[in-house]
Amino acid sequence: MGRNVKLRLASRIGYVDLVHEMAESLAREARFTKPEALNIGLAVREAVINAMKHGNGLDAAKMVDVEFRRNASTFRVLVKDQGPGFDEARMSDPCEGANVLRTSGRGILFMKHFVDRVAFQRRRGKGTVVVLEKRLDNGGRNGRSAAITGRRR
Amino acid sequence: MKANARHHGKVTVVDLSGKITIGEGDLKLRQAVGGLLDEGRKNVLLNLGGVSYMDSAGIGELVACYKRATEKGASLKLLNPSGKVQDLLVLTKLQEIFDIYRDEREALASF
Ligand SMILES: Nc1ncnc2c1ncn2[C@@H]1O[C@H](COP(=O)(O)OP(=O)(O)OP(=O)(O)O)[C@@H](O)[C@H]1O
Ligand SMILES: [Mg+2]
Repeated sequence: MGRNVKLRLASRIGYVDLVHEMAESLAREARFTKPEALNIGLAVREAVINAMKHGNGLDAAKMVDVEFRRNASTFRVLVKDQGPGFDEARMSDPCEGANVLRTSGRGILFMKHFVDRVAFQRRRGKGTVVVLEKRLDNGGRNGRSAAITGRRR
Repeated sequence: MKANARHHGKVTVVDLSGKITIGEGDLKLRQAVGGLLDEGRKNVLLNLGGVSYMDSAGIGELVACYKRATEKGASLKLLNPSGKVQDLLVLTKLQEIFDIYRDEREALASF
Protein backbone atom coordinates (compact mmCIF):
# COMPACT_ATOMS: atom_id res chain seq x y z
CA MET A 1 0.00 0.00 0.00
CA GLY A 2 1.55 3.27 -1.04
CA ARG A 3 1.80 4.86 2.36
CA ASN A 4 5.53 5.27 2.80
CA VAL A 5 7.36 8.38 3.90
CA LYS A 6 11.11 8.93 3.83
CA LEU A 7 13.10 11.61 5.61
CA ARG A 8 16.79 12.41 5.45
CA LEU A 9 18.28 14.54 8.21
CA ALA A 10 21.64 15.95 9.14
CA SER A 11 22.73 14.80 12.60
CA ARG A 12 21.47 17.76 14.60
CA ILE A 13 19.68 17.17 17.88
CA GLY A 14 17.44 20.15 17.05
CA TYR A 15 15.78 18.02 14.35
CA VAL A 16 14.69 15.32 16.77
CA ASP A 17 11.41 17.07 17.66
CA LEU A 18 10.50 17.26 13.96
CA VAL A 19 10.88 13.52 13.48
CA HIS A 20 9.02 12.82 16.70
CA GLU A 21 6.10 14.99 15.55
CA MET A 22 6.05 13.41 12.14
CA ALA A 23 6.04 9.92 13.64
CA GLU A 24 3.16 10.88 15.89
CA SER A 25 1.05 12.31 13.10
CA LEU A 26 1.69 9.40 10.76
CA ALA A 27 0.74 7.05 13.58
CA ARG A 28 -2.47 9.01 14.12
CA GLU A 29 -3.16 8.79 10.39
CA ALA A 30 -2.73 5.02 10.74
CA ARG A 31 -5.52 5.22 13.36
CA PHE A 32 -3.48 4.62 16.46
CA THR A 33 -4.94 6.26 19.56
CA LYS A 34 -3.27 9.42 20.84
CA PRO A 35 -1.41 7.66 23.67
CA GLU A 36 -0.18 4.98 21.27
CA ALA A 37 0.90 7.54 18.72
CA LEU A 38 2.85 9.30 21.48
CA ASN A 39 4.52 5.99 22.35
CA ILE A 40 5.53 5.52 18.72
CA GLY A 41 6.84 9.09 18.61
CA LEU A 42 8.87 8.51 21.78
CA ALA A 43 10.38 5.27 20.43
CA VAL A 44 11.33 6.96 17.14
CA ARG A 45 12.79 9.88 19.11
CA GLU A 46 15.12 7.53 21.01
CA ALA A 47 16.23 5.72 17.86
CA VAL A 48 16.95 9.00 16.06
CA ILE A 49 18.88 10.44 19.01
CA ASN A 50 21.02 7.28 19.13
CA ALA A 51 21.58 7.35 15.38
CA MET A 52 22.77 10.96 15.55
CA LYS A 53 24.75 10.67 18.75
CA HIS A 54 26.25 7.18 18.88
CA GLY A 55 26.01 6.30 15.19
CA ASN A 56 27.04 9.53 13.53
CA GLY A 57 28.89 11.09 16.47
CA LEU A 58 26.81 14.28 16.08
CA ASP A 59 28.70 15.01 12.86
CA ALA A 60 26.24 17.23 10.97
CA ALA A 61 27.72 16.03 7.69
CA LYS A 62 26.48 12.52 8.44
CA MET A 63 22.90 11.71 7.68
CA VAL A 64 20.13 9.84 9.40
CA ASP A 65 17.52 8.24 7.18
CA VAL A 66 14.09 7.62 8.59
CA GLU A 67 11.51 5.59 6.73
CA PHE A 68 7.91 5.11 7.74
CA ARG A 69 6.25 2.07 6.20
CA ARG A 70 2.75 0.99 6.78
CA ASN A 71 0.84 -2.03 5.57
CA ALA A 72 -2.46 -3.59 6.63
CA SER A 73 -1.06 -5.07 9.82
CA THR A 74 2.00 -3.12 10.85
CA PHE A 75 3.35 0.38 11.28
CA ARG A 76 7.09 0.13 10.79
CA VAL A 77 9.82 2.74 11.18
CA LEU A 78 13.42 2.29 10.03
CA VAL A 79 16.15 4.54 11.38
CA LYS A 80 19.51 4.30 9.62
CA ASP A 81 22.80 5.92 10.50
CA GLN A 82 26.29 5.93 9.04
CA GLY A 83 28.10 4.77 12.16
CA PRO A 84 30.20 1.79 13.22
CA GLY A 85 27.31 -0.27 14.58
CA PHE A 86 27.15 -1.96 17.97
CA ASP A 87 26.21 -5.20 19.63
CA GLU A 88 22.97 -4.71 21.47
CA ALA A 89 23.45 -7.93 23.46
CA ARG A 90 26.51 -6.42 25.14
CA MET A 91 24.72 -3.39 26.54
CA SER A 92 24.11 -3.51 30.28
CA ASP A 93 20.61 -3.69 31.74
CA PRO A 94 19.65 -0.19 32.94
CA CYS A 95 17.27 -1.66 35.51
CA GLU A 96 19.83 -3.79 37.27
CA GLY A 97 21.48 -2.85 40.54
CA ALA A 98 23.60 0.29 40.47
CA ASN A 99 22.67 0.93 36.82
CA VAL A 100 19.34 2.32 38.01
CA LEU A 101 21.23 5.42 39.14
CA ARG A 102 23.17 5.90 35.90
CA THR A 103 22.40 9.09 34.02
CA SER A 104 22.14 7.34 30.64
CA GLY A 105 21.59 3.94 29.06
CA ARG A 106 17.79 3.84 28.94
CA GLY A 107 16.94 4.70 25.32
CA ILE A 108 16.74 1.12 24.07
CA LEU A 109 14.68 0.16 27.12
CA PHE A 110 12.23 2.95 26.22
CA MET A 111 12.00 1.81 22.59
CA LYS A 112 11.22 -1.75 23.66
CA HIS A 113 8.62 -0.52 26.10
CA PHE A 114 6.85 1.70 23.58
CA VAL A 115 6.57 -0.52 20.50
CA ASP A 116 5.95 -4.22 19.87
CA ARG A 117 9.27 -5.07 18.25
CA VAL A 118 12.72 -3.49 18.09
CA ALA A 119 15.42 -4.99 15.90
CA PHE A 120 18.97 -3.85 15.22
CA GLN A 121 20.60 -4.60 11.91
CA ARG A 122 24.29 -3.99 11.58
CA ARG A 123 25.33 -3.28 8.00
CA ARG A 124 29.01 -3.89 7.40
CA GLY A 125 30.65 -0.50 6.93
CA LYS A 126 27.26 1.10 6.33
CA GLY A 127 25.96 1.78 9.79
CA THR A 128 23.05 0.55 11.83
CA VAL A 129 19.37 0.18 11.02
CA VAL A 130 16.94 0.17 13.90
CA VAL A 131 13.57 -1.29 13.01
CA LEU A 132 10.61 -0.34 15.19
CA GLU A 133 7.29 -2.08 14.70
CA LYS A 134 3.86 -1.56 16.14
CA ARG A 135 0.97 -3.80 15.20
CA LEU A 136 -2.08 -2.05 13.86
CA ASP A 137 -4.38 -4.65 15.33
CA ASN A 138 -3.41 -4.50 18.96
CA GLY A 139 -6.06 -6.19 21.07
CA GLY A 140 -8.76 -3.86 19.78
CA ARG A 141 -7.12 -0.75 21.22
CA ASN A 142 -6.40 0.81 17.86
CA GLY A 143 -6.40 0.39 14.12
CA ARG A 144 -9.21 -1.88 13.09
CA SER A 145 -11.33 -1.30 16.15
CA ALA A 146 -11.20 2.42 15.46
CA ALA A 147 -12.35 1.69 11.93
CA ILE A 148 -15.29 -0.27 13.30
CA THR A 149 -16.32 2.14 16.02
CA GLY A 150 -15.83 5.17 13.84
CA ARG A 151 -13.26 7.87 13.97
CA ARG A 152 -12.23 8.96 17.44
CA ARG A 153 -10.95 12.45 17.85
CA MET B 1 9.60 23.23 29.40
CA LYS B 2 9.00 25.82 32.11
CA ALA B 3 10.26 25.83 35.67
CA ASN B 4 8.96 28.13 38.41
CA ALA B 5 10.21 27.99 41.96
CA ARG B 6 8.19 28.94 45.04
CA HIS B 7 9.26 28.72 48.64
CA HIS B 8 7.30 27.15 51.50
CA GLY B 9 9.38 27.62 54.60
CA LYS B 10 12.44 25.43 54.23
CA VAL B 11 11.11 23.66 51.14
CA THR B 12 11.38 24.92 47.56
CA VAL B 13 8.72 23.63 45.20
CA VAL B 14 9.62 23.74 41.52
CA ASP B 15 6.57 23.63 39.27
CA LEU B 16 7.63 22.06 35.99
CA SER B 17 5.49 22.07 32.88
CA GLY B 18 5.81 20.98 29.28
CA LYS B 19 8.11 18.20 28.21
CA ILE B 20 11.55 17.35 29.53
CA THR B 21 13.49 16.21 26.50
CA ILE B 22 16.96 16.35 25.02
CA GLY B 23 18.51 19.71 24.23
CA GLU B 24 16.01 21.94 26.00
CA GLY B 25 13.97 20.61 28.90
CA ASP B 26 16.89 18.61 30.25
CA LEU B 27 19.11 21.71 30.30
CA LYS B 28 16.44 23.85 31.96
CA LEU B 29 15.89 21.20 34.62
CA ARG B 30 19.63 21.11 35.29
CA GLN B 31 19.77 24.91 35.60
CA ALA B 32 16.70 25.13 37.81
CA VAL B 33 17.82 22.49 40.29
CA GLY B 34 21.51 23.41 40.04
CA GLY B 35 20.67 27.04 40.86
CA LEU B 36 18.72 26.08 43.97
CA LEU B 37 21.46 23.75 45.21
CA ASP B 38 24.06 26.47 44.64
CA GLU B 39 21.94 28.87 46.70
CA GLY B 40 22.20 26.34 49.48
CA ARG B 41 18.61 25.09 49.33
CA LYS B 42 18.41 21.72 51.00
CA ASN B 43 14.83 20.64 50.36
CA VAL B 44 13.58 20.56 46.80
CA LEU B 45 10.25 19.20 45.65
CA LEU B 46 9.86 18.84 41.89
CA ASN B 47 6.22 19.16 40.91
CA LEU B 48 5.90 17.05 37.76
CA GLY B 49 2.12 17.49 37.49
CA GLY B 50 2.40 19.62 34.35
CA VAL B 51 5.00 17.49 32.59
CA SER B 52 3.47 15.64 29.67
CA TYR B 53 6.41 13.37 28.89
CA MET B 54 10.14 12.87 29.19
CA ASP B 55 12.69 11.08 27.01
CA SER B 56 15.75 9.14 28.15
CA ALA B 57 17.78 12.35 28.31
CA GLY B 58 15.15 13.95 30.55
CA ILE B 59 15.03 10.94 32.86
CA GLY B 60 18.85 10.90 32.87
CA GLU B 61 18.88 14.54 33.95
CA LEU B 62 16.39 13.81 36.72
CA VAL B 63 18.80 11.16 38.03
CA ALA B 64 21.71 13.60 37.70
CA CYS B 65 19.77 16.18 39.76
CA TYR B 66 19.02 13.57 42.39
CA LYS B 67 22.69 12.64 42.66
CA ARG B 68 23.84 16.26 42.80
CA ALA B 69 21.33 16.98 45.56
CA THR B 70 22.49 13.96 47.54
CA GLU B 71 26.14 15.00 47.16
CA LYS B 72 25.29 18.41 48.58
CA GLY B 73 23.42 16.95 51.50
CA ALA B 74 20.09 18.09 50.07
CA SER B 75 17.02 16.05 49.33
CA LEU B 76 15.07 16.02 46.09
CA LYS B 77 11.59 14.56 46.00
CA LEU B 78 8.89 14.27 43.37
CA LEU B 79 5.27 15.39 43.36
CA ASN B 80 2.46 14.20 41.13
CA PRO B 81 4.08 12.56 38.09
CA SER B 82 1.51 12.32 35.28
CA GLY B 83 0.55 8.99 33.68
CA LYS B 84 3.35 8.91 31.14
CA VAL B 85 6.06 10.08 33.52
CA GLN B 86 4.87 7.70 36.24
CA ASP B 87 4.99 4.89 33.67
CA LEU B 88 8.65 5.70 32.93
CA LEU B 89 9.57 5.92 36.62
CA VAL B 90 8.15 2.43 37.10
CA LEU B 91 9.83 1.08 33.94
CA THR B 92 13.24 2.39 34.99
CA LYS B 93 12.80 1.29 38.63
CA LEU B 94 13.42 4.90 39.65
CA GLN B 95 10.13 4.76 41.48
CA GLU B 96 12.02 2.72 44.09
CA ILE B 97 14.70 5.40 44.42
CA PHE B 98 12.69 8.61 44.54
CA ASP B 99 10.28 9.66 47.27
CA ILE B 100 7.13 10.32 45.26
CA TYR B 101 4.07 12.11 46.61
CA ARG B 102 0.55 12.69 45.33
CA ASP B 103 -0.37 15.37 47.84
CA GLU B 104 1.61 18.57 48.11
CA ARG B 105 0.89 19.15 51.78
CA GLU B 106 2.01 15.65 52.63
CA ALA B 107 5.12 16.12 50.52
CA LEU B 108 5.97 19.43 52.24
CA ALA B 109 5.56 17.86 55.66
CA SER B 110 7.89 14.98 54.73
CA PHE B 111 11.07 17.08 54.61
N1 LIG C 1 22.85 3.69 16.40
C1 LIG C 1 23.81 3.32 17.23
N2 LIG C 1 25.09 3.21 16.82
C2 LIG C 1 26.08 2.84 17.67
N3 LIG C 1 25.88 2.54 18.96
C3 LIG C 1 24.63 2.62 19.44
C4 LIG C 1 23.52 3.02 18.61
N4 LIG C 1 22.41 2.99 19.36
C5 LIG C 1 22.79 2.63 20.59
N5 LIG C 1 24.12 2.40 20.66
C6 LIG C 1 24.88 1.95 21.84
O1 LIG C 1 23.98 1.39 22.78
C7 LIG C 1 24.10 2.08 24.03
C8 LIG C 1 22.74 2.10 24.70
O2 LIG C 1 21.84 2.96 24.03
P1 LIG C 1 20.66 3.62 24.85
O3 LIG C 1 19.89 4.50 23.95
O4 LIG C 1 19.93 2.55 25.59
O5 LIG C 1 21.41 4.48 25.96
P2 LIG C 1 22.26 5.83 25.77
O6 LIG C 1 21.99 6.40 24.44
O7 LIG C 1 23.67 5.53 26.14
O8 LIG C 1 21.65 6.76 26.92
P3 LIG C 1 20.18 7.43 26.92
O9 LIG C 1 19.46 6.93 25.71
O10 LIG C 1 19.57 6.95 28.20
O11 LIG C 1 20.40 8.89 26.90
C9 LIG C 1 24.68 3.44 23.69
O12 LIG C 1 25.38 4.00 24.77
C10 LIG C 1 25.61 3.08 22.54
O13 LIG C 1 26.82 2.55 23.03
MG1 LIG D 1 20.02 6.70 23.74
